[in-house]
Amino acid sequence: MKTTTLGGLGAAAIAGLLLAGDVSAGPERVTYPANFETGYTLYNQVDRLDRKRVRSFYVNREADAAAKSDAPLPDGTVLVMADRNAKLDAGGNPVFGADGRLVATGPVTNIFVMEKRAGWGESIPAELRNGDWDYAWFTPDGSLKPDAKYKGCFTCHMSRVERDYTFTYVKRLMDAGR
Amino acid sequence: MFRRTTSLLTLVLPALALTAGTLAGLSSQALAAEYVVTMKDAAYSPAAITATLGDTVRFVNDDGETHNVFVPTLGHALDLGKQEAGAEKTLVLRTPGQFEVECVHHLSMTMTITVKP
Repeated sequence: MKTTTLGGLGAAAIAGLLLAGDVSAGPERVTYPANFETGYTLYNQVDRLDRKRVRSFYVNREADAAAKSDAPLPDGTVLVMADRNAKLDAGGNPVFGADGRLVATGPVTNIFVMEKRAGWGESIPAELRNGDWDYAWFTPDGSLKPDAKYKGCFTCHMSRVERDYTFTYVKRLMDAGR
Repeated sequence: MFRRTTSLLTLVLPALALTAGTLAGLSSQALAAEYVVTMKDAAYSPAAITATLGDTVRFVNDDGETHNVFVPTLGHALDLGKQEAGAEKTLVLRTPGQFEVECVHHLSMTMTITVKP
Protein backbone atom coordinates (compact mmCIF):
# COMPACT_ATOMS: atom_id res chain seq x y z
CA MET A 1 0.00 0.00 0.00
CA LYS A 2 1.18 3.51 -0.79
CA THR A 3 0.36 5.47 2.31
CA THR A 4 0.60 8.76 0.45
CA THR A 5 -2.78 8.09 -1.11
CA LEU A 6 -4.41 7.40 2.22
CA GLY A 7 -3.19 10.42 4.11
CA GLY A 8 -6.65 11.09 5.47
CA LEU A 9 -6.72 7.82 7.32
CA GLY A 10 -4.07 8.74 9.86
CA ALA A 11 -1.17 6.69 11.12
CA ALA A 12 -3.23 4.38 13.32
CA ALA A 13 -5.56 3.44 10.50
CA ILE A 14 -2.69 2.86 8.12
CA ALA A 15 -1.03 0.64 10.69
CA GLY A 16 -4.28 -1.27 10.94
CA LEU A 17 -4.35 -1.77 7.20
CA LEU A 18 -0.82 -3.09 7.16
CA LEU A 19 -1.45 -5.35 10.12
CA ALA A 20 -4.37 -6.83 8.26
CA GLY A 21 -1.83 -8.56 6.08
CA ASP A 22 -2.83 -7.45 2.58
CA VAL A 23 -0.20 -4.96 1.56
CA SER A 24 -1.82 -4.58 -1.87
CA ALA A 25 -4.91 -2.88 -0.40
CA GLY A 26 -5.71 0.57 -1.73
CA PRO A 27 -6.41 2.25 -5.04
CA GLU A 28 -3.52 0.51 -6.80
CA ARG A 29 -5.50 -2.72 -6.90
CA VAL A 30 -8.46 -1.03 -8.62
CA THR A 31 -8.21 -1.42 -12.38
CA TYR A 32 -8.49 1.68 -14.56
CA PRO A 33 -11.51 1.03 -16.82
CA ALA A 34 -10.02 2.42 -20.03
CA ASN A 35 -13.06 1.53 -22.12
CA PHE A 36 -15.79 2.68 -19.76
CA GLU A 37 -17.35 5.12 -22.25
CA THR A 38 -17.79 2.47 -24.94
CA GLY A 39 -17.67 -0.87 -23.15
CA TYR A 40 -19.74 -0.13 -20.05
CA THR A 41 -23.43 0.63 -19.57
CA LEU A 42 -24.35 4.24 -18.84
CA TYR A 43 -27.07 3.99 -16.21
CA ASN A 44 -27.52 7.48 -14.78
CA GLN A 45 -26.46 11.11 -14.92
CA VAL A 46 -26.33 13.28 -11.84
CA ASP A 47 -26.30 17.05 -12.22
CA ARG A 48 -23.94 18.34 -9.58
CA LEU A 49 -25.52 21.78 -9.48
CA ASP A 50 -23.35 23.14 -6.67
CA ARG A 51 -20.17 22.36 -8.58
CA LYS A 52 -21.47 23.01 -12.11
CA ARG A 53 -20.49 19.49 -13.16
CA VAL A 54 -22.20 16.61 -14.87
CA ARG A 55 -21.53 13.18 -13.41
CA SER A 56 -22.11 10.16 -15.65
CA PHE A 57 -22.43 6.75 -14.05
CA TYR A 58 -21.40 3.50 -15.71
CA VAL A 59 -21.40 -0.19 -14.75
CA ASN A 60 -19.50 -3.03 -16.37
CA ARG A 61 -21.84 -5.10 -18.50
CA GLU A 62 -21.04 -8.49 -17.00
CA ALA A 63 -22.03 -7.29 -13.54
CA ASP A 64 -25.05 -5.40 -14.82
CA ALA A 65 -26.41 -8.52 -16.49
CA ALA A 66 -26.32 -10.44 -13.21
CA ALA A 67 -27.16 -7.70 -10.71
CA LYS A 68 -30.34 -7.79 -8.60
CA SER A 69 -31.43 -5.13 -6.15
CA ASP A 70 -32.30 -7.67 -3.45
CA ALA A 71 -28.92 -9.40 -3.47
CA PRO A 72 -25.32 -8.27 -3.01
CA LEU A 73 -23.81 -7.02 -6.23
CA PRO A 74 -21.72 -9.60 -8.09
CA ASP A 75 -18.04 -10.09 -7.42
CA GLY A 76 -16.22 -8.10 -10.08
CA THR A 77 -18.72 -5.24 -10.20
CA VAL A 78 -17.08 -2.01 -11.38
CA LEU A 79 -18.92 1.29 -11.04
CA VAL A 80 -17.53 4.41 -12.69
CA MET A 81 -18.38 8.04 -11.98
CA ALA A 82 -16.99 10.33 -14.69
CA ASP A 83 -17.04 14.10 -14.26
CA ARG A 84 -17.36 16.66 -17.03
CA ASN A 85 -17.87 20.38 -16.73
CA ALA A 86 -21.32 21.83 -17.30
CA LYS A 87 -21.86 24.29 -20.13
CA LEU A 88 -22.01 27.87 -18.80
CA ASP A 89 -23.30 31.13 -20.22
CA ALA A 90 -21.27 34.33 -20.45
CA GLY A 91 -22.14 35.11 -16.86
CA GLY A 92 -20.86 31.80 -15.59
CA ASN A 93 -24.30 30.38 -14.96
CA PRO A 94 -25.20 26.84 -16.03
CA VAL A 95 -27.01 26.40 -19.32
CA PHE A 96 -29.88 23.91 -19.19
CA GLY A 97 -31.00 21.75 -22.08
CA ALA A 98 -34.56 21.41 -23.32
CA ASP A 99 -34.97 18.55 -20.85
CA GLY A 100 -34.09 20.83 -17.95
CA ARG A 101 -30.78 19.10 -17.38
CA LEU A 102 -27.22 20.40 -17.30
CA VAL A 103 -25.33 20.12 -20.56
CA ALA A 104 -21.96 18.40 -20.32
CA THR A 105 -19.15 20.01 -22.24
CA GLY A 106 -15.48 19.31 -22.83
CA PRO A 107 -13.54 16.21 -21.91
CA VAL A 108 -13.87 14.01 -18.84
CA THR A 109 -12.00 15.68 -15.99
CA ASN A 110 -11.96 12.97 -13.31
CA ILE A 111 -12.81 9.28 -13.16
CA PHE A 112 -13.86 7.78 -9.84
CA VAL A 113 -14.10 4.00 -9.65
CA MET A 114 -15.45 1.59 -7.05
CA GLU A 115 -14.66 -2.05 -7.62
CA LYS A 116 -15.80 -5.10 -5.69
CA ARG A 117 -13.60 -8.15 -5.34
CA ALA A 118 -14.00 -11.04 -2.93
CA GLY A 119 -11.78 -10.62 0.10
CA TRP A 120 -10.81 -7.01 -0.51
CA GLY A 121 -12.70 -5.85 2.56
CA GLU A 122 -10.50 -7.92 4.84
CA SER A 123 -7.64 -5.48 4.44
CA ILE A 124 -9.72 -2.43 5.32
CA PRO A 125 -10.20 -1.44 8.99
CA ALA A 126 -13.60 -2.57 10.24
CA GLU A 127 -14.75 0.97 11.03
CA LEU A 128 -14.21 1.96 7.38
CA ARG A 129 -14.96 -1.30 5.62
CA ASN A 130 -17.49 -1.12 2.78
CA GLY A 131 -18.00 -4.83 2.26
CA ASP A 132 -15.50 -5.88 -0.39
CA TRP A 133 -15.42 -2.55 -2.20
CA ASP A 134 -12.37 -0.40 -2.77
CA TYR A 135 -12.06 2.99 -4.43
CA ALA A 136 -9.75 4.80 -6.81
CA TRP A 137 -9.59 8.27 -8.32
CA PHE A 138 -8.06 8.47 -11.77
CA THR A 139 -7.03 11.39 -13.90
CA PRO A 140 -8.07 11.37 -17.59
CA ASP A 141 -4.77 9.80 -18.65
CA GLY A 142 -5.58 6.75 -16.54
CA SER A 143 -3.13 7.40 -13.73
CA LEU A 144 -4.09 7.55 -10.08
CA LYS A 145 -4.56 11.06 -8.75
CA PRO A 146 -1.48 11.40 -6.57
CA ASP A 147 -2.95 13.56 -3.82
CA ALA A 148 -6.31 11.77 -3.57
CA LYS A 149 -7.77 10.97 -0.18
CA TYR A 150 -10.04 7.96 0.18
CA LYS A 151 -11.33 8.00 3.72
CA GLY A 152 -14.27 10.14 2.61
CA CYS A 153 -15.30 7.52 0.04
CA PHE A 154 -15.59 4.85 2.70
CA THR A 155 -17.32 7.00 5.32
CA CYS A 156 -19.84 8.52 2.91
CA HIS A 157 -20.77 5.24 1.17
CA MET A 158 -21.19 3.63 4.60
CA SER A 159 -24.62 5.27 4.80
CA ARG A 160 -25.80 3.07 1.91
CA VAL A 161 -24.90 -0.30 3.41
CA GLU A 162 -28.43 -1.50 2.63
CA ARG A 163 -27.79 -0.84 -1.06
CA ASP A 164 -24.42 -2.55 -1.08
CA TYR A 165 -22.72 0.79 -0.44
CA THR A 166 -23.91 2.38 -3.68
CA PHE A 167 -25.79 5.67 -3.99
CA THR A 168 -27.05 5.32 -7.53
CA TYR A 169 -26.65 1.81 -8.93
CA VAL A 170 -28.74 -0.37 -6.61
CA LYS A 171 -31.35 2.39 -6.47
CA ARG A 172 -31.47 2.26 -10.25
CA LEU A 173 -32.05 -1.49 -10.08
CA MET A 174 -34.81 -0.96 -7.52
CA ASP A 175 -36.51 1.68 -9.64
CA ALA A 176 -36.31 -0.60 -12.66
CA GLY A 177 -37.92 -3.44 -10.74
CA ARG A 178 -34.86 -5.66 -11.03
CA MET B 1 -43.16 23.61 8.16
CA PHE B 2 -44.52 24.03 4.67
CA ARG B 3 -45.82 26.96 2.80
CA ARG B 4 -46.54 27.85 -0.78
CA THR B 5 -45.76 31.41 -1.67
CA THR B 6 -46.29 33.29 -4.87
CA SER B 7 -43.66 35.49 -6.41
CA LEU B 8 -43.58 39.12 -5.39
CA LEU B 9 -44.23 39.90 -9.03
CA THR B 10 -47.75 38.59 -8.58
CA LEU B 11 -48.45 41.33 -6.08
CA VAL B 12 -46.64 44.11 -7.84
CA LEU B 13 -47.70 43.54 -11.39
CA PRO B 14 -51.31 44.71 -11.08
CA ALA B 15 -50.08 48.05 -9.80
CA LEU B 16 -47.84 48.59 -12.75
CA ALA B 17 -49.09 50.06 -15.99
CA LEU B 18 -47.46 47.41 -18.11
CA THR B 19 -48.49 46.53 -21.60
CA ALA B 20 -50.31 43.32 -22.34
CA GLY B 21 -47.27 42.07 -24.19
CA THR B 22 -45.03 42.61 -21.21
CA LEU B 23 -47.50 40.87 -18.96
CA ALA B 24 -47.58 37.90 -21.26
CA GLY B 25 -43.82 37.71 -21.22
CA LEU B 26 -43.69 37.66 -17.46
CA SER B 27 -46.64 35.38 -16.88
CA SER B 28 -44.72 32.19 -16.30
CA GLN B 29 -42.35 33.88 -13.87
CA ALA B 30 -45.17 35.60 -12.04
CA LEU B 31 -47.00 32.33 -11.50
CA ALA B 32 -44.01 30.46 -10.16
CA ALA B 33 -44.46 29.30 -6.59
CA GLU B 34 -41.92 28.61 -3.90
CA TYR B 35 -42.21 25.61 -1.62
CA VAL B 36 -40.29 25.47 1.62
CA VAL B 37 -39.00 22.13 2.92
CA THR B 38 -37.35 21.89 6.31
CA MET B 39 -34.66 19.37 7.18
CA LYS B 40 -34.79 18.36 10.81
CA ASP B 41 -34.49 15.20 12.92
CA ALA B 42 -33.43 13.21 9.87
CA ALA B 43 -36.62 14.04 8.00
CA TYR B 44 -37.80 16.35 5.25
CA SER B 45 -41.04 18.15 5.99
CA PRO B 46 -43.32 17.88 4.17
CA ALA B 47 -42.49 14.42 2.86
CA ALA B 48 -44.24 15.03 -0.46
CA ILE B 49 -44.84 17.99 -2.73
CA THR B 50 -46.79 18.39 -5.92
CA ALA B 51 -45.59 21.43 -7.84
CA THR B 52 -45.54 22.84 -11.34
CA LEU B 53 -42.70 23.19 -13.78
CA GLY B 54 -40.79 26.39 -13.00
CA ASP B 55 -41.67 26.40 -9.31
CA THR B 56 -38.87 26.39 -6.78
CA VAL B 57 -38.20 24.42 -3.62
CA ARG B 58 -36.23 26.06 -0.85
CA PHE B 59 -34.59 23.52 1.45
CA VAL B 60 -33.91 24.87 4.93
CA ASN B 61 -31.68 22.93 7.28
CA ASP B 62 -33.26 23.61 10.67
CA ASP B 63 -31.21 20.88 12.29
CA GLY B 64 -27.98 20.85 14.23
CA GLU B 65 -26.23 18.57 11.75
CA THR B 66 -25.36 18.48 8.09
CA HIS B 67 -27.93 17.27 5.58
CA ASN B 68 -28.12 17.16 1.81
CA VAL B 69 -30.42 17.12 -1.21
CA PHE B 70 -29.61 14.19 -3.46
CA VAL B 71 -31.90 12.85 -6.17
CA PRO B 72 -31.06 9.38 -7.54
CA THR B 73 -34.09 9.06 -9.85
CA LEU B 74 -33.14 8.55 -13.50
CA GLY B 75 -33.88 11.62 -15.59
CA HIS B 76 -33.99 13.85 -12.53
CA ALA B 77 -30.79 12.93 -10.69
CA LEU B 78 -28.95 15.81 -9.05
CA ASP B 79 -26.96 16.78 -6.01
CA LEU B 80 -27.05 20.17 -4.30
CA GLY B 81 -24.02 19.35 -2.14
CA LYS B 82 -23.43 19.46 1.56
CA GLN B 83 -25.84 21.66 3.49
CA GLU B 84 -24.58 22.71 6.91
CA ALA B 85 -26.86 23.47 9.85
CA GLY B 86 -28.84 26.63 9.20
CA ALA B 87 -28.04 26.72 5.50
CA GLU B 88 -30.62 27.09 2.73
CA LYS B 89 -30.49 25.89 -0.87
CA THR B 90 -32.99 26.40 -3.65
CA LEU B 91 -33.89 24.00 -6.43
CA VAL B 92 -35.69 25.16 -9.57
CA LEU B 93 -38.00 22.44 -10.88
CA ARG B 94 -37.04 22.20 -14.54
CA THR B 95 -38.11 18.66 -15.43
CA PRO B 96 -41.66 17.26 -15.21
CA GLY B 97 -42.26 13.93 -13.52
CA GLN B 98 -41.85 12.41 -10.10
CA PHE B 99 -38.59 11.90 -8.26
CA GLU B 100 -37.26 11.01 -4.85
CA VAL B 101 -35.03 13.16 -2.69
CA GLU B 102 -32.58 11.56 -0.29
CA CYS B 103 -30.08 12.83 2.21
CA VAL B 104 -26.64 11.43 1.45
CA HIS B 105 -25.93 11.21 5.16
CA HIS B 106 -29.21 9.60 6.30
CA LEU B 107 -30.68 6.80 4.21
CA SER B 108 -34.09 6.98 5.87
CA MET B 109 -34.42 10.70 5.16
CA THR B 110 -36.45 10.84 1.97
CA MET B 111 -39.21 12.77 0.27
CA THR B 112 -41.02 12.77 -3.06
CA ILE B 113 -41.52 15.67 -5.45
CA THR B 114 -44.02 15.54 -8.29
CA VAL B 115 -43.61 18.16 -11.00
CA LYS B 116 -46.59 18.78 -13.26
CA PRO B 117 -45.97 20.17 -16.77
